[in-house]
Amino acid sequence: MRIGVDTGGTFTDCVVFDGAAVRVIKVFTNPSDPATASLEGTRRLAGRKIAEPLTLVHGTTAGTNTVLERRGARVALLTTVGFEDLIEIGRQNRPRLYDFNVERDPPLVPRGLRWGVNERTAADGSILQRPTAAEIKRLLALVKRSGAEAVAICFLFAFANPANERAVARAVRRLGLPVSISHEILPEFREYERLSTVVLNAYLVPRVGRYLDRLRQEARRSFRAPQNAAGAKDTRGAAQVFVMQSSGGITTAERAAREPVRTILSGPAGGVVSARWLADQLGIRRAISFDMGGTSTDVCLLDGPPQMTRETTLGGLPVAVPVLDVHSVGAGGGSLARFDAGGALQVGPESAGAVPGPACYARGGTQPTVTDAHLVLGRLDPEHFLGGEFRLDERAARESVDAFLRAQRRRRKSGERKEPSAVDLARGIVAVANANMEKALRVISVERGHDPRDFSLISFGGAGGLHACDLAHALRLAQVVVPPNPGTFSALGVLLSDIVKDVSQSVLLPVPAGGGRKQSQPRKRFLASLEERFARLERQARAELRRDKLPAESASAIRSLDVRYVGQSYELTVAFTARFQEEFHRAHERAYGYADSGRAMEVINLRLRLLIRTLKPPVRRSKGIGRGDLRNATIRQKTVWFENRSHWTPVYDRARLAPGNRFRGPAVVVEYSSTTVVPPDCVCRVDEYLNLVLTQHAR
Amino acid sequence: MPVDPTELEIFKNLFHSVAEEMGAALRRSAFSPNIKERRDYSCAVFDGQGRAVAMGDHMPVHLGSMPASVAAAMEALDLGPGDIAMLNDPFAGGTHLPDVTMVAPVFVHRGVHRGVHRGVSGAKQPLFYVANRAHHADIGGAQPASMGLSEEIYQEGLRIPPVRLARRGRIERDVLAMILANVRTPQEREGDLTAQVAACRLGERRLTELAGKYGVRKTGFYLDALQQYSARLMREALQRIPNGVYRAEDFLDDDGYSDVPLRLRVAITIRGQRARVDFTGSAPACRGSMNAVVAITRSAVFYVFRCLLDDDVPACAGLMNPIEVVAPKGSIVNAQPPVAVAGGNVETSQRIVDVLLRALAQALPHEIPAASSGTMNNLSFGGITPRTGQPFAYYETIAGGMGARPSSDGLSGVHTHMTNSLNTPIEALESACPVRVRRYSLRHGSGGAGRFKGGDGIVREIEFLTETRVSILSDRRRFAPYGLAGGKPGKMGKNELIPPNGGKKALPSKAVFSAPRGSILRIETPGGGGWGK
Repeated sequence: MRIGVDTGGTFTDCVVFDGAAVRVIKVFTNPSDPATASLEGTRRLAGRKIAEPLTLVHGTTAGTNTVLERRGARVALLTTVGFEDLIEIGRQNRPRLYDFNVERDPPLVPRGLRWGVNERTAADGSILQRPTAAEIKRLLALVKRSGAEAVAICFLFAFANPANERAVARAVRRLGLPVSISHEILPEFREYERLSTVVLNAYLVPRVGRYLDRLRQEARRSFRAPQNAAGAKDTRGAAQVFVMQSSGGITTAERAAREPVRTILSGPAGGVVSARWLADQLGIRRAISFDMGGTSTDVCLLDGPPQMTRETTLGGLPVAVPVLDVHSVGAGGGSLARFDAGGALQVGPESAGAVPGPACYARGGTQPTVTDAHLVLGRLDPEHFLGGEFRLDERAARESVDAFLRAQRRRRKSGERKEPSAVDLARGIVAVANANMEKALRVISVERGHDPRDFSLISFGGAGGLHACDLAHALRLAQVVVPPNPGTFSALGVLLSDIVKDVSQSVLLPVPAGGGRKQSQPRKRFLASLEERFARLERQARAELRRDKLPAESASAIRSLDVRYVGQSYELTVAFTARFQEEFHRAHERAYGYADSGRAMEVINLRLRLLIRTLKPPVRRSKGIGRGDLRNATIRQKTVWFENRSHWTPVYDRARLAPGNRFRGPAVVVEYSSTTVVPPDCVCRVDEYLNLVLTQHAR
Repeated sequence: MPVDPTELEIFKNLFHSVAEEMGAALRRSAFSPNIKERRDYSCAVFDGQGRAVAMGDHMPVHLGSMPASVAAAMEALDLGPGDIAMLNDPFAGGTHLPDVTMVAPVFVHRGVHRGVHRGVSGAKQPLFYVANRAHHADIGGAQPASMGLSEEIYQEGLRIPPVRLARRGRIERDVLAMILANVRTPQEREGDLTAQVAACRLGERRLTELAGKYGVRKTGFYLDALQQYSARLMREALQRIPNGVYRAEDFLDDDGYSDVPLRLRVAITIRGQRARVDFTGSAPACRGSMNAVVAITRSAVFYVFRCLLDDDVPACAGLMNPIEVVAPKGSIVNAQPPVAVAGGNVETSQRIVDVLLRALAQALPHEIPAASSGTMNNLSFGGITPRTGQPFAYYETIAGGMGARPSSDGLSGVHTHMTNSLNTPIEALESACPVRVRRYSLRHGSGGAGRFKGGDGIVREIEFLTETRVSILSDRRRFAPYGLAGGKPGKMGKNELIPPNGGKKALPSKAVFSAPRGSILRIETPGGGGWGK
């Protein structure tokens, strides 16, 4: 039995797959002890009797929250002498340009816990100075006295030759503290980014490690193995825990506890995986996943496999391990509206959160939010929010907007502009929220050289369906797909994820000249040498999988190269084939608008991914597609605002829609965890998998 | 049509994202460490009259001065569709020679309306201009990296008035060849110029799409509306400042040839919603390169007043509408040909900010910070790599301490005011040049004391592994960054050369010399001033 558990700020979503069917549950998150909700949800889904071993796959915010709340370990840092302050200087820039009161986040390791080591490696990997035994002894004494709970080691050019790091690490391990070493966590160049990454890892190890250990033990205790025929208990532990990594693959809880920096985007990663899975099911290559919740929206571009980045920051700190290229903006259902000094309407990033929540939750909120705006426009059905468990207060929403308008009117000189009505303002709030999200979608698509018209929007999260069509229209996206149960779609992604092991190696190798069809001798030799390096890398990676007690023999390998023109600093990742050069030129043209086939290129990193596929839930495809009778699904008709006028609009119950149903907007589709709005110029059809597929209809 | 606040916000974001997008493409495909690692570049969008509409969050000193580039290109050349103007002449739209700016017009047919896109031809006037500026690692002249001491602009490098680098979509190979023949690292230059051209094309494409989507009329309407909106924001900010005349002065150390300090003087007059910034009384242009062209002076004024507004205000030309700048011709803040100007952009611009803030602190004592390090500590060097026989040229700026704020300490080891360039990673620098970085740390105790402490400067030590030609252009080695409200000044900076056989040789704030193999250059940058007793 496999259970996917996704911990969010408000709810912990659980999805179970018991070999036959998928079931879903939501329980409230307990922020002080996230493990309890995970176990409670699991217990409620799995029931008392477990007939087979349990696999719990977990998307966690433990790492993210530890960093954002600054509740990690007391870390000691050992680094090359003369560079003890690098962690404070960073790249010597400031995060905002025109702000006298700009602040930088304080470093994770304070000055008194940073020590320089007399050692040095040169750019070519030659060792200029080795740390002496006396020096190492002195350092051990300092670390021991400091009361540090974890140690980070990062030396200059350790990616080119890790000998000095290894020597010091071996000694430090004797102290019994967890040690994070730069060449192990990230054997790549750019010292500050590597340093930041390895320090983050050390900072997370004790806390995330404890959390995962507890989850693992509790799971084993709670879900005992079934007795086998002979009546003896299976002693190997029936419950196995996996953790979602930021890269979109899962790893064992034990490894995640040692390399927690790889889980900092564990939360949003699930949705990306399920979006890719859905797109594959539908034969869509190019898609954008769009996950809009209460406070933020996560978007990710999917052109084939999900895109990765190594330039993420978390709480102002660079994280250079590969993470899914998820872009987040502070726009969600709870985002608050306000006017700035120049009279422009602003929405977010401040959010009403769960407390006090939007005005329409009637829990003390008075400032209008995006959710309130939708309610004023008639797009939410107050009776069917959360399946009717929770009634929205339409009057409170209306009053928040009116009060806002009155306050604004007092501030403005009369006659300067036309007087907006409550509906105008509500439309404005939705439009500004859309503009913020449109910007996020542009960052990941057009700004990286993709034409949005080739992409489908996969929309989910509680608020996604309310905005998806507007955004698709603004960016001229091909279509919108809303899967069933959009509210728990991320947890489904966690359950769907494969076991992944990513390894890399900086090589900095010039590519011999003379590409094209004819394979020259030096080129053949070059390809053969890359082949050999990959083989070595793969052997090491498989050995590590075996150490994690995973079936390494069933893992498939994916090889890629980071390539750039000689002299550039940013690489593009291309698949490793004999024709990788041509592919690089094409990728460069696509990304930056030019390519230069005459320019020499170099291979910077080899990247290898080992992948063990997990069992996927079966996809239920409806056999017969009828025309369906919409009358069965119609709840009622009501007034809803679109663009600049109101429409008499049907409200449909999604549970009663059938494959083959097809209708024109305007329409509103309600279900337990979300609402989907179909504007007047859109057509919605229900496909054979029960997805809603929305397209613009030809005028 | 009435201004719709929603659409105003949308257009603001759209124009800004075009500028950011151009910047990202430039950074990722560029070759010179200045652009790709230090991010010493800027991109911006202008309307058809050459007024700035949006600028990426790049280099403040570029952003306020780029409108002059667009104006110069518009005046000198009759740019048609597909043309790109290139320039670096400080006396014709540039700032200092290493900053090469490209300007491209964007023509959109008037018949283009919502949903229908008929291509770019047919329009008589451009609807937009796009521009980008990048600091190239070398543009020829007497010293590698083109940032050394000079007495005339002719010694500083190749001077490019507005010329067409591209005509009707095609690169003018002969113009490019002439440029490349005059610089030390031509292959790198060619790569960077190509990346700049590609960034222009990208901006052009995006703006054409945008106008196609929203219609030319509406787009034009909001181009105007954004100017009025930004002017309104600035007027409201000025309204907050008490009426009066606020005066201040400060000094640059020297011009590198004599030890006479260079005076900068300002009188800021605030009257209701308008400001007048008068530099009368500032020193005449100097013999060295500390001369600022008026575009830089305006840029520094723009920066200071921009900081009085919220951070997400659009960087439109309209912001400057209520502000008048008086800079006497021929003075150090309005240099005329043929004086040298390399340091005006990087050093004098910082000191202009210091003087302006000192004056404004009298009007807004609880908002204005004490002096920051006040210098960019420009270090450039070059020579021949022994292993390959190839030339190298390198340029960097070193951060310092930020001045204390009226409610918090200044930050340490950070670029302030007119620059925000990143450092070059040591692992990138040592892979590219025959040097070894021996120390890169905070200069503890260099920030001025006070109720709130000034930030600390930086200590940087670089060992030269081969004989190397070095230029230093720095300041605040004789006049310390001031404190405010009784706070103590920050420590002054210090430059030293440690020869291979030991000992120490003090260097002046501006110096050009040959560093022998095995010698170590040690630069200590100034701390920020303190605030309050």
